[in-house]
Amino acid sequence: MVKLTRNSFFSFKFKDRIEITLLIVSFLSVLILSLITIFLFYEGAPAFMEIGTFNLLFGDNWAPFYGRYGAAPLIYGSIMIVVGSLVISIPLGVIAAIFFAEFIPRWLGDLIKPFIELLAAIPSIIFGFFGLAVLSPIISDLFGLALGKTAFTASIVLSIMVVPTIVSISSEVISSVPNDYKRASIALGATHWQTLKNVVLPTAKLGIVASILLAFGRAIGETVAVLMVSGAVAKIPVPFWNYFKPVQTITGSIALDMGEVPFGSTHYHALFGLGIVLFVITFVFNTISDYVMRKAPTAEVQI
Amino acid sequence: MKYQSPKERVLPYLFSVPAIILILASISILLFVGTGGVLAINWEMVSKSVLKGGIFEPIVGTLYLLSGTMAISLPIGVLTAVYLVEYAPKGRTNRIITQAMNNLAGVPSIVFGLFGYSFFCRFLGFGISLLSGWLTLTCMVLPIVIRGSQEAIRMVPKTFREAAEALGASKWRAIRDLVLTTAAPGIATSTILGISRVAGETAAILFTSSVFLMRGLPSTPFDPVMVLTYHIYVLLVTSPSPVLDRVFAMALILLGLVVVLNILAYVVRLYYRKRKRW
Amino acid sequence: MVTINPKIETKNLNVWYGDHHVIKDVNLKIFEKIVTAIIGPSGCGKSTFLMTLNRLLDLNSDVHVEGEVLLDGRNIYEPRLDLIEVRRRIGMVFQKPNPLPKSIYENVAYGPRVHGIKDRKVLGGIVETCLQDVVLWDEVYDRLKDSAFELSIGQQQRLCMARALAVKPDVLLMDEPTSSLDPAATAKIERLVRVLGKDYTIIIVTHNMQQAARVSDLTAFLYLGKIIEYGDTRSMFEKPREKLTENYIIGKFG
Repeated sequence: MVKLTRNSFFSFKFKDRIEITLLIVSFLSVLILSLITIFLFYEGAPAFMEIGTFNLLFGDNWAPFYGRYGAAPLIYGSIMIVVGSLVISIPLGVIAAIFFAEFIPRWLGDLIKPFIELLAAIPSIIFGFFGLAVLSPIISDLFGLALGKTAFTASIVLSIMVVPTIVSISSEVISSVPNDYKRASIALGATHWQTLKNVVLPTAKLGIVASILLAFGRAIGETVAVLMVSGAVAKIPVPFWNYFKPVQTITGSIALDMGEVPFGSTHYHALFGLGIVLFVITFVFNTISDYVMRKAPTAEVQI
Repeated sequence: MKYQSPKERVLPYLFSVPAIILILASISILLFVGTGGVLAINWEMVSKSVLKGGIFEPIVGTLYLLSGTMAISLPIGVLTAVYLVEYAPKGRTNRIITQAMNNLAGVPSIVFGLFGYSFFCRFLGFGISLLSGWLTLTCMVLPIVIRGSQEAIRMVPKTFREAAEALGASKWRAIRDLVLTTAAPGIATSTILGISRVAGETAAILFTSSVFLMRGLPSTPFDPVMVLTYHIYVLLVTSPSPVLDRVFAMALILLGLVVVLNILAYVVRLYYRKRKRW
Repeated sequence: MVTINPKIETKNLNVWYGDHHVIKDVNLKIFEKIVTAIIGPSGCGKSTFLMTLNRLLDLNSDVHVEGEVLLDGRNIYEPRLDLIEVRRRIGMVFQKPNPLPKSIYENVAYGPRVHGIKDRKVLGGIVETCLQDVVLWDEVYDRLKDSAFELSIGQQQRLCMARALAVKPDVLLMDEPTSSLDPAATAKIERLVRVLGKDYTIIIVTHNMQQAARVSDLTAFLYLGKIIEYGDTRSMFEKPREKLTENYIIGKFG
């Protein structure tokens, strides 16, 4: 009996060891996130101190090789392009989602959706290539511009990249609106569209909004594709609503400058400062999106 | 049949427009890269070194980058998923880890690049290297692998593990022998998707791992590496009149790789669903 | 035997789910302002039959229907028919209460709204009347804006009945309306059925024979998709004509 106790004790310890190992491994995610936060702030904080938060974020002269670190044109450029892409991708995405969820039979939707999900898998460099070689010339011809690299072009490219997110999540959410509701509405004599408008879509609203927030987060973080077609000019366009002018984004300037920047210089810190801005914005949007998603009255969805 | 008012009969056609636009968009991109690439590519180009006008090293370099990243992230990801599902499915620990994972998933790739540079390249002193690339990309791809593995493991009925434990197997053995093997296709799917993501990544390796030109292939993990994505990027962005046939060839290989991987993941998912007999 | 024109009549009604022949050659006459019960063992097509009467079965993609369903003499499966109007005239209460994800008020007002009634006063009147008709008004009049899900299951089912009544149907189809409810709530619904049966044509599907005996005037026994017997409720239960009916009623199977 004593032997039995010793054995069980030993195996208990082993089981504990495994669990502890797994716990440590699992905490790597937490560790990584913490490290990212720490290092970003460690390298970026000096920028806020040396340049001044106000100057960095709101100064409108970005010429770091000349010692000017006003990142407002970059922030504006990012916002411009993201807004532009959302204006295109939200209607496109939501309507396509409704189409897949409500207007075609399930099997057909399952057949076609992979094509759109493929869009999500295409590397951004290829989007950039496509934008550069195909869209850019078309746009410059169509609108009589000298160069096709504009905020408009970037918005279009970004919208194609971001639409699959909206489509896949929204269509999932719409499909999971309980059939009970639809049957009740139809049995009362409502038409399909009335049912959609008054019952299905209001129920799916939160999930759709969450997908849009997520799309926003992805759009603002996109680097390469946007860099290749946005024109990379760090100036707020002159009529500020003019999308046919080149702009530069936060991500674009980080990508462009990091290769050449001297380690530890103000410029270097400024880029990390921009990184912090990006990190915070996406963090906020993803958190809100998660929160909205959890409030949504429909089933759990893979993001 | 469903829609009665005549006005509404238009709706399905109207609503199909965005979907058609999107499908056309993806087809155009595929055709663009496909035809350009097929016309441009030839065996000579693929086998010749970059220094002689070929694209050999970026292709192999990409494979080096991929394999290292997955070799590191797969075990970590799967073990984390096992822990989250089997050992701590609820409670504070789970919430903290899941929260961290979700946030990590939303971080833009360029920020990973910044982190990778300052931490792996500088702080740990690995420099611009394959190793830094592996580690940076692991950080980026971990949430994907964890999430997918979690899904797969969750779908294995608890009864499998309980039956094994009832027969005397320890929890870990039950998991290892039964749960993981059953969940393997699901884990494979997410791994494949992770590989696809890594293959197409540019921003995170831009200044942490890749170079445009170097002599030969990396001989140690501490060497930098040439990869398809970065090579295409430099050719297109920095040269005034880029040598398009090399770009097309690389784009074709890259896109081909990604498409094949995604189809593979899709097939594995279907196969898994068909084989599930519970 | 009966010379009155039936409110609803099915002629050679056949329904297939894929290859499965679920309703076989049903010819049934349902009469106006009478409560008709449809009894039979589970899975024999009672719900399916009910759903052919308001074409709700159309929502199912692998269903095939042949034959005619006449409402006041007109076949509702005619392609050019106004289905919306048919569904307005034939209301339905489901087995599991399915309130819409809206307030109590909005649930009842939904039907009239969808058919074009926008005047708030008119809607308010309809809501109150219908809630009174299902004896729910006194329980909810002070919380009409609350979510329908805050009601008890029994109350939700009565709400669904009020909702169905709000569009002023002629016929009310009830698919095992009390199977999710406790005895007290069941009793309330059964009382409502008897009261409403004077003004509406009610067809109630039930697997509870005592319920059929309690609430209906006529009963049809549906077994494996065929109508075995159809007649006056009391006589069917006291002296069934078919052996099969008798076996079912005394509980030999079911």
